[in-house]
Amino acid sequence: MGLSNILYDKLKKLCVSLGKHNDALYAVLAIAVFKGVMRPTFTMMDKKSDRETKKYAAFREGLTEAIAFASYILTHKLVLPLAVPIAKKTGKSPKKVKNGLSLLSVCLTAGIIIPFICNLTLKPIMDGVKKLNDKRKNSKTDSFDRILDIKENIVSEKINVSGIYSPQLSAPSRSLLDAVRRNSLQNAAMKVGG
Amino acid sequence: MLGPLVNMITSNKFQTIAQNTDACVKLETSLKAVGRPTFTLMDKHTDKETRKYAATKEFLYQILCLGIYLAIIPAVFKNGGFKLAQRIFKKEGMPAFKNAKQMLSYHHLAYMSPAERCNPKNKKFLDLIDKDLINPNDGTPLYEYLMGNKEKHIEPLSKKTMENKGLMFELAKGSIELSSIIGSVIGLTILAPEISHYILHPVMKAIDKKSSLKARNVNAFDKKA
Repeated sequence: MGLSNILYDKLKKLCVSLGKHNDALYAVLAIAVFKGVMRPTFTMMDKKSDRETKKYAAFREGLTEAIAFASYILTHKLVLPLAVPIAKKTGKSPKKVKNGLSLLSVCLTAGIIIPFICNLTLKPIMDGVKKLNDKRKNSKTDSFDRILDIKENIVSEKINVSGIYSPQLSAPSRSLLDAVRRNSLQNAAMKVGG
Repeated sequence: MLGPLVNMITSNKFQTIAQNTDACVKLETSLKAVGRPTFTLMDKHTDKETRKYAATKEFLYQILCLGIYLAIIPAVFKNGGFKLAQRIFKKEGMPAFKNAKQMLSYHHLAYMSPAERCNPKNKKFLDLIDKDLINPNDGTPLYEYLMGNKEKHIEPLSKKTMENKGLMFELAKGSIELSSIIGSVIGLTILAPEISHYILHPVMKAIDKKSSLKARNVNAFDKKA
């Protein structure tokens, strides 16, 4: 039996099983998996943004898709056992109830559960990762300084903190700052289409 | 409460959508277009302007995805994939369906009870089934399975009989679903981000310019006041 025959049989089996029962879950899971791989890859390939921003955005995109994947599977697993009792109670065909519940769970997950979980968890996770990164960087530079024993330009006297005031910005400079902030967000944090 | 919901999810329309990759992905993308911007606007971690900006961008991106999906998937992947499958599986005794739409219409009707098939609502599906479209395994027209033949005293077949006799043509249906899944993945994970880069960024820049102009006008008005 040649390789082409094996492939032919596998493809035929896959098509027949999809033809007999095509769950709404298959397509959305496939999309989530490929988005989770492709989008971070595309982001990392972008030459316009700096490396740290790309890393941050790619991690965020990957995390969003991982959340989506897990949510689809979890809601599916939670909802499907309800099919038999519902079918018994209403006298409908269990297979039809199962199919219907599957699509309903996909819709609810895509429209409500995933955005809700992302809103709830993405920001704290990303903040945590950023802090960890900063800590690691600081510890690296600290150890580097210790090895070299750098003591030059050390300010020995204490700075009077109460004497430092935050600058008062005029309206045009505030709007300019907002625009810059939004632009940096456009490049990194709020990437769309998870 | 449970009754209407169960009636809805077990209705023929809902069942057809549940079994159809194309319809599922369209529904999912439409829900994302509504759900994601709504939740972005509700997010209290960021300021109002940023939320508005992100929600608009998200909404436009999902609409763009839906547009790309509608434009490419049915024409290229669904029909193209089905034609390819017909060529690959030509020895498997598949009827010579003209296109994916004809096959899906047959499948949709076969899924119903014989009485439902006669409903005028379903005439559009029945019209797509040519009377000379035959099952190559026994030479019987597919129309006869669905509607029977009064002259020959043949009754229409029920869904269960059709399933048992292998008249649902699962291989043909499955090949359409598989090519739709492949098309969805390519369309939404490779084409959409690339195309959005060329369309979405200029649109968002234009929106941003407009809003900053508005803010400048408000500031000027405040100064005058």
